[in-house]
Amino acid sequence: MANFLGTAPTIGSSLLDSHLTPRPSFTSCTDPSKFLVPNVTDPAFYCRTNFASASGDKDKEQVVKFAKGTTTLAFKFNEGIIVSVDSRSTMGAYIASQTVKKIIEINPFLLGTMAGGAADCSFWERNLGMQCRLYELRNKKRISVASASKLLANTMNSYRGYGLSMGTMVTGWDETGPQLYYVDNDATRLHDNLFSVGSGSTYAYGVLDTYYRPDLTIDEAIDLGKRAIYHATHRDAYSGGINNLYHVKETGWEKIHAIDVNELHYEFADEKNEMVA
Amino acid sequence: MSILAYNGAAMIAMAGDGCVGIASDTRLGVQAQTVATTFQKVHKISDTIFVGLAGLGSDVQTLSQTLKFRKNLYELREEREMKPKVFSALLSTLLYEKRFGPYFCEPIVAGLQEGKPFLSGMDLIGAPVFTDDFVVSGTCTANLFGTCESLFKPNFQPDELFETLSQCLLASVDRDALSGWGGVVHIITEDGVRTRELKGRQD
Amino acid sequence: MGDSAYSFSLTTFSRTGKLLQIEYALNAVSNGRTSLGIAAKDGVVIATDKKVSSTLIDVDAVQKIQSISPSSGFVYSGLGPDYRVLTRSARKNASAYERTYGERQPISQTVKQTASLMQEYTQSGGVRPFGCSVLAAGFDEDLEPKLFQVDPSGAYFGWRATAIGKGFVNAKSFLEKRVTPDILLEDAIHTCLLTLREGFEGEINGKNIEVGILEKETGSFRILKEEEVNDYLNEAN
Repeated sequence: MANFLGTAPTIGSSLLDSHLTPRPSFTSCTDPSKFLVPNVTDPAFYCRTNFASASGDKDKEQVVKFAKGTTTLAFKFNEGIIVSVDSRSTMGAYIASQTVKKIIEINPFLLGTMAGGAADCSFWERNLGMQCRLYELRNKKRISVASASKLLANTMNSYRGYGLSMGTMVTGWDETGPQLYYVDNDATRLHDNLFSVGSGSTYAYGVLDTYYRPDLTIDEAIDLGKRAIYHATHRDAYSGGINNLYHVKETGWEKIHAIDVNELHYEFADEKNEMVA
Repeated sequence: MSILAYNGAAMIAMAGDGCVGIASDTRLGVQAQTVATTFQKVHKISDTIFVGLAGLGSDVQTLSQTLKFRKNLYELREEREMKPKVFSALLSTLLYEKRFGPYFCEPIVAGLQEGKPFLSGMDLIGAPVFTDDFVVSGTCTANLFGTCESLFKPNFQPDELFETLSQCLLASVDRDALSGWGGVVHIITEDGVRTRELKGRQD
Repeated sequence: MGDSAYSFSLTTFSRTGKLLQIEYALNAVSNGRTSLGIAAKDGVVIATDKKVSSTLIDVDAVQKIQSISPSSGFVYSGLGPDYRVLTRSARKNASAYERTYGERQPISQTVKQTASLMQEYTQSGGVRPFGCSVLAAGFDEDLEPKLFQVDPSGAYFGWRATAIGKGFVNAKSFLEKRVTPDILLEDAIHTCLLTLREGFEGEINGKNIEVGILEKETGSFRILKEEEVNDYLNEAN
């Protein structure tokens, strides 16, 4: 493993200890926008080739591999936004956890979802929460979802090529109503009514695209959210565990349920049998 | 990614007192995509020989057919039943014949020979290991070893053996992304074979 | 073998429904040196007359009994060179069997394989039948000692005791009188030597006969040394 070294030695140490190997400054770790980077001519290239973990198998030749494998979805409808996710975390074929919280409560009006590198998602969405709070303190009003997602996209842009792995949906209710954005580690930022992210997203899209209507009732929307996640967990090896589902309303988000997807299997199987009978 | 882990599998064979058991999951996937949840990986060769084939699904089917053919041919030619030890040796040579273009299967054999358990496992080119407690194969061998090492005791009765195999398998596949979605357990005794299906997690 | 368009089978039926080539082959066997064998309860003995046509021949260089595996052996009457083809094939087959199944080939399988080979030479084009019969000593699948005979036609038989080659009719009737179902190996060896001596021209000794024994106790086949044969002969006197 390469040494992690500060690009800019502190003033004191550079004068006094210039004959010594520069040490990483501890204080710089507390400032997320000034991460220590490898002391090489092209740190982005170094990180990309050694710590890449964009979803897929770009890290398969690397010593450092990342936990990933997910199904997350969110869609806007007339009564707000449904955010629904699984809870599995894998390291290769090994299931590291079945109880991961993949919906991050940034503040009472903002939610972020987690797909890709677990550490990257949780760190940068926590960091986003901090930036949003600072905005509130400075401007005496809540940040719009558009701005919040842009802050995250900007952060991603500043680390482009460093091999971060993050596919997230930022949702919330602001002055303009319910909003849904998709932001990933390439700094892509999209605005739409429906997204699904992760290895199981294709299965979720299949259910979502079939049954989605903007005029779904809240109960119908909740059912669609958990149904799409269930089907994804059934077919995708890297998705599973618990279905966590949130509803974003004008009054902020509300957690609707946390159900073991295995129970959903039998619930839906019974339903299918009744339809046949 | 290894071809051996392309379709996913988990299986155990375990010895008891005058009985032997073999259990496997039933998933067949294409990497992350679960395609079938009722795929047969344990094959009955005779009343006293069962083989579990973990690995590439197509090779699992080809190999099971070849093994049944070779066993039948042997029994017609020699007018006697094939013993588990002989079956294991045959399987091993069959695999090594394809040394430079192997079947992507890591088999386990469970049998009863003169009323005593016979267990063997081998790699995809037929290097055998013989054990008197248990053998495991598949995409979560680490998990399977863990559960088997914890729950195995010598001289299980058939019903205890069934319970142990079931618990070992289900606990292991719940921590493996590529196997699970149900299971099947065969308990082989001199009185006959008892086969039961397990209800596993569907994610 | 025999796959050319012009290589016809030489073994063809006569008008009377006989395969003369096979009968001629059996004649070649009957003209050959006598060989015989006895399957006892605890082993098998096979023996043969090893008389040579000239005193100039080094008899130590002649070996008519051949081991096929550590637990089986062949002896023949008839054409020596043809016999060599059979032992070569049987050895290879027995080794392949052991490599494949991890246990010794039962003698019945060795015999079947040898018989199949001999049969093939009665139907193939461009070849002639084998000019020898074989006695095979080995264990069956239950590790019981067994004796078999294979003929040029590809026919094979299991025997308690039998003889082939010159004077085989007399030798067989001699054996019939002396071999019982519960005979033991030591007895069988003596009976074998006695039978051989009966039809022998001249005095038999460790130089001009050959004896091979299969012992159930050790599970192995071996050819007796000259001194051992002489010891058995002395015991009989």
